[in-house]
Amino acid sequence: MEPLNQLLLHPDHRVGADLTRWQAHGGGSALSAAAADPAAVRELVRLADLRGLGGSGFPVWKKWDVVAAEPARPDKYLVVNGNEDEPGTFKDRLLLEETPHQVIEGAVIAALAVGANRVVFYVNPDLARSLTALKLAIEQWRAAGLTEIAARALGRPLELELLPGSGHYIGGEETAALEWIEGRFPFPRGKPPYPAQSGVHGCPTLVNNVETLAHVPHLVLYGVDWFRGRGIGRGTGTKLYSLSGDVLHPGVYELPMGTPLRELIYAHGGGLLSGKPLKAVFTGGPSNTLLTPADLDVALDFDSLRECGGSLGTGAMIVISEGTGVVKRVAEYVRFFAHSSCGQCPPCKTGTATLSRLLDRIDTGRGTPADLATLENLCAMLPNSGRCHLLNGVVQLLDSSFRHFHHEYRNALR
Amino acid sequence: MNKTGISFAAARAAYRPDADLGPLPALTDPDTLLAACHPDHLRGSVVKLAIGANAGDGCQRELAELLQAEAFIDEADLAGTPVTDTDVLVIGGGGAGCAAALAAAERGARVLLATKLRLGDSNTVMAEGGIQAAIEPDDTPQQHISDTLRGGHHAADPALVAALVADGPDAIRWLIRQGMQFETTATGDLHTRKAGGMSAARIVHCRDYTGLEMMRVLREAVIQHRGIEVWEQSPAVELLSNERGQKCVGAVLGSLADGRLRIVRTRSVILATGGLGRLHLNGFPTSNHLGATGDGLVLAYRIGAKLRELDSFQYHPTGLVHPTHLSGKLVTEGVRAAGALLVNGEGRRFIDELLPRDVVSAAILRECQEGRGILSVRTDKTRLGVWLDTPRLERSQPGLLERQFPKLLARTRGAGIDPRVDPLLVHPTLHYQNGGVLIDVNGATTVPGLYAVGELAGGIHGRNRIMGNALLDIIGFGRRAGVAAVAERDRGPKKVTLEHVNRMRRALTLAGMPLTHKSPRLLPAYAGGAWNR
Repeated sequence: MEPLNQLLLHPDHRVGADLTRWQAHGGGSALSAAAADPAAVRELVRLADLRGLGGSGFPVWKKWDVVAAEPARPDKYLVVNGNEDEPGTFKDRLLLEETPHQVIEGAVIAALAVGANRVVFYVNPDLARSLTALKLAIEQWRAAGLTEIAARALGRPLELELLPGSGHYIGGEETAALEWIEGRFPFPRGKPPYPAQSGVHGCPTLVNNVETLAHVPHLVLYGVDWFRGRGIGRGTGTKLYSLSGDVLHPGVYELPMGTPLRELIYAHGGGLLSGKPLKAVFTGGPSNTLLTPADLDVALDFDSLRECGGSLGTGAMIVISEGTGVVKRVAEYVRFFAHSSCGQCPPCKTGTATLSRLLDRIDTGRGTPADLATLENLCAMLPNSGRCHLLNGVVQLLDSSFRHFHHEYRNALR
Repeated sequence: MNKTGISFAAARAAYRPDADLGPLPALTDPDTLLAACHPDHLRGSVVKLAIGANAGDGCQRELAELLQAEAFIDEADLAGTPVTDTDVLVIGGGGAGCAAALAAAERGARVLLATKLRLGDSNTVMAEGGIQAAIEPDDTPQQHISDTLRGGHHAADPALVAALVADGPDAIRWLIRQGMQFETTATGDLHTRKAGGMSAARIVHCRDYTGLEMMRVLREAVIQHRGIEVWEQSPAVELLSNERGQKCVGAVLGSLADGRLRIVRTRSVILATGGLGRLHLNGFPTSNHLGATGDGLVLAYRIGAKLRELDSFQYHPTGLVHPTHLSGKLVTEGVRAAGALLVNGEGRRFIDELLPRDVVSAAILRECQEGRGILSVRTDKTRLGVWLDTPRLERSQPGLLERQFPKLLARTRGAGIDPRVDPLLVHPTLHYQNGGVLIDVNGATTVPGLYAVGELAGGIHGRNRIMGNALLDIIGFGRRAGVAAVAERDRGPKKVTLEHVNRMRRALTLAGMPLTHKSPRLLPAYAGGAWNR
C-alpha cells in the first residue's frame, strides 16, 4: 500500500546530495519565503503544533521562543541532532542520506527564526552514507551561495558545521551533545540551565532532531492548515515510523501522525511473519512502555499514547510475535542501556548494571524469587536519580514488561 | 542414470590380468565429454536460486533446497538459554578451524572452538597426498599461481590464489614449528613430489597420511593452548546477527550430547565447517567424513553472505563401490599414477587414466551410462562401476602395492578382497566442494564479523582443485582469518538477534516458498536424520 501523503519522503525530495535536482523540485523556495520574515516562522510552528520528533514530543515553539528571546552571547547555536543510535530507530539516517538538502533548509530556516548564527549538524559517526551525503550537500550550499542569502536575512555570517558524534548512545541526549561539541566526553549536564538559556560555550542553543527540522520547509511553503490536515485526529503533519521485528515488510513509513498501530502493522507492514499472532510492540527507544494487542487501535501520536500510559518516542515500533520471550528481549535492551550509561551518576551506573545482571540471571534460568523482588524494588527506587532520562527509560521499559508479562518472569525463575 | 550393465560375476569370471585391453580410444573433445557426462551437468542438477544474496545464480539442486529454507530455531527456543561470551568463535574442528583458532589465540584473543563431532573429525585427516608449496629451486610462486588458475579452469579469484601461494612456504615452516613431520631427502631437505597439473615438484608430504599427521599436531596444539576452549559435539544450529541483521555477532550451538542450545556472543565468527559430501548430491557416494553436510554454506547464506560456484563440485574418479560399507572411500590417485589402468565391463581401456579428475570421472560415468559398466554384487542397491586393474599393476611391478599402499591393502583385505588378485570396482565419488562462501584475502565474507575458511570458502580453486592445494588453503587462509578476526572492531554489547532469520522468512514468504523445510542438515539421514531435539 503506497502512502498518499508523503512529505519528507516524497520522491521529489529523495534526490540525495544533488542541489540542482532538489532545486528543480522547488527546493530552496521555503528559505526565500522565510528569509522575508523569519520571526513569523515561529508563529507557524506554534500554530502547526510541531513536536520534537526525536522522542520527547515537546512542543517545538516553546524552545524556539526561549532561544529567540535570549540575546546572542556572542553567538547562538542550533544543534541538528542526528545521533540516532536507539535500537529499532532508523529514520534520521534515511533523511540525511536521501534528503540532506531538505534537512539543511529546515535547519537554516530554524536558525533564522531564532537568530542562531552557528548551525552544527551532529551526526552518529557510524552512519557513513549519511555523513557523506550531508558533507556534500553542505558544500553545495556554500558553493551555490545559499548560505549567503540566509546570512543576509540574519544580518551576520551563518556558519554550517558537520560534526560526527562520539559514537556513544548517550551522546544523543541534548546536553551530552553540547559537551561533545565543546570537545569533551558526552556526559549529560544537569538541568537547569536549559540549553536554550546556556548551551554550547554558554551561548543560547536550540537542539532539535533531524526529522523535526526537516518538517519546517514544507510547513513554511504550504502553511499551517495544510500541515495540520496531514495528521489524523489530534496528530498534526506526518511522522516517520521505523517498523521492525517480526513483520513481513519492515522499514521506514511516513504516515499521518495519529495512524493507528493496527494500520501500521497490518496494512503497511504486511502483517506478522508466518501468520503468528502479535504479542507486543516495543516503542520508541525502546526505553518506553510496551504496547500489547489491546493497544492495536490506539492512535500513534504523542498525546493519545501518553493517555494510554505509553509514549511514542522516536516512532520506532519493534514488533514481536507469539513465541518470542519477553524476558530475553528486555534483558537484551537493558544490557544495551547498561552498556550505554555514561557512568557519571552512581544510581544509573550501578543501577543499570545491577538490573542487567539480575535480568540475565532470570533469563538464563538461574534467577530466584529474591532476584525478581530485587528487580521490582529497584524499579521503585531508581527513577529520577540520574541527570538524564536514561535510567527512567530503563525502568519504564521494565515496569511495563512486569505489568503485561509478569508471568514470564515468574516462570523463568529457578 | 542407466542402471544396466554387465553382472559382477560375469565380469569377474571374464577378467584376466594379462588380457589384451585393446587400443585406447582417442579423446577428441574433453569439454563435450564433461558436458555430456559430468554430474555438474546432469539435467535438472542445477537450479536457479530465487532468494538471498545469490538470487538468480545457478546452484546444485539439493543444496538449493537447504539454502532456501527455514531455520531450526525461533526466538522462543532461545528463552532461558545460557550465554557464553568470547572474543572469537571458531565453528569447525578440522584443519582450517584449528589453524584459525591458533592464530587468533596467539594474538591474545579468547577463542571458543566448537565442533559438531570431535576435534579432528574432518576431511583434513583423509588428505593423503600432501601439501603444495613452491620451495624447490626450479619452482617459483608464479608457476604455482599459474598451475592453480589453469587447474581451476581460470574461474578462481587471482587475488586469493596469489595469497594462497604466498602463504605456502611460511605455512610449511609454521607446521614444522608446531611439530609436524615431513618426508625429507638424504640431505635433510624437504622431499617434494610432482603431481597432476603441476609444472614443478611441489608436494611436501608425510608418507601417504599427510593430513592425518597435520591434524595430529594441530589438535595437540589446540588442546594445549590456554586461550582456546574446545566444545565437542556442539554443532552450530544458527548464527546470531545484530538487531539489523547485518553483522554476525555470535551463534547458537546445539549439543549432540544433551540436545540443549547455547548462545555464544562474540566479536567475530570464523566458519570452518568444511564441505558437503554427505548431502550425496545427485545420489553419489562420497569420500567425505560423516559431518560434511554443508552447514556452513546454509548458515552463511541465511545471514546474507554471498556464495560462489555453487554448481561446481569435484567427483574423484576412483571411489570404491563394494564392499558396501566402504562405498565411496577413496582409492588414492597415486595408484593410477603408479600405473594402474581403468577397464570397463567389456575388458577395454576407455580413457587416459592421468587426465584431470573431472575428465576421468566423466569417462567412467559414460561407460556406466552406456551399458559397459559392471553391476555391483549387492543388487538391493544397484551400483555400477569399472575395474581399477590392480592385479595387472602387481604383475608388472611386483610388491609395489604392498610397499606403497599399505593403507589400501589393509582396508580391502578386511573385506576379503586382495587387490593384488582381485581388480577393484570403482566409481566416481563426491569429493570436494569447489565453490563456497565468497571471501577476501583475509577470509572475510560479505557479512561484517563473519569469516569463512577451508573447504567452505570459495574462489580459491575455481571450478576444479588441484592436488595439495586444499591442505595449503586451510592453513593459509585459516591463519589469515584468525588474525583478522581478532582485529575486528567492536563497540560492546549490541543485541544478539535472529533478525537475519526473519529476513529469510520474509523473502521465503514473498517468493511464495514453503516455510516447512528446515536447515542446516547437521547429520545425514542415515546417521539420525535432521537434528532432533
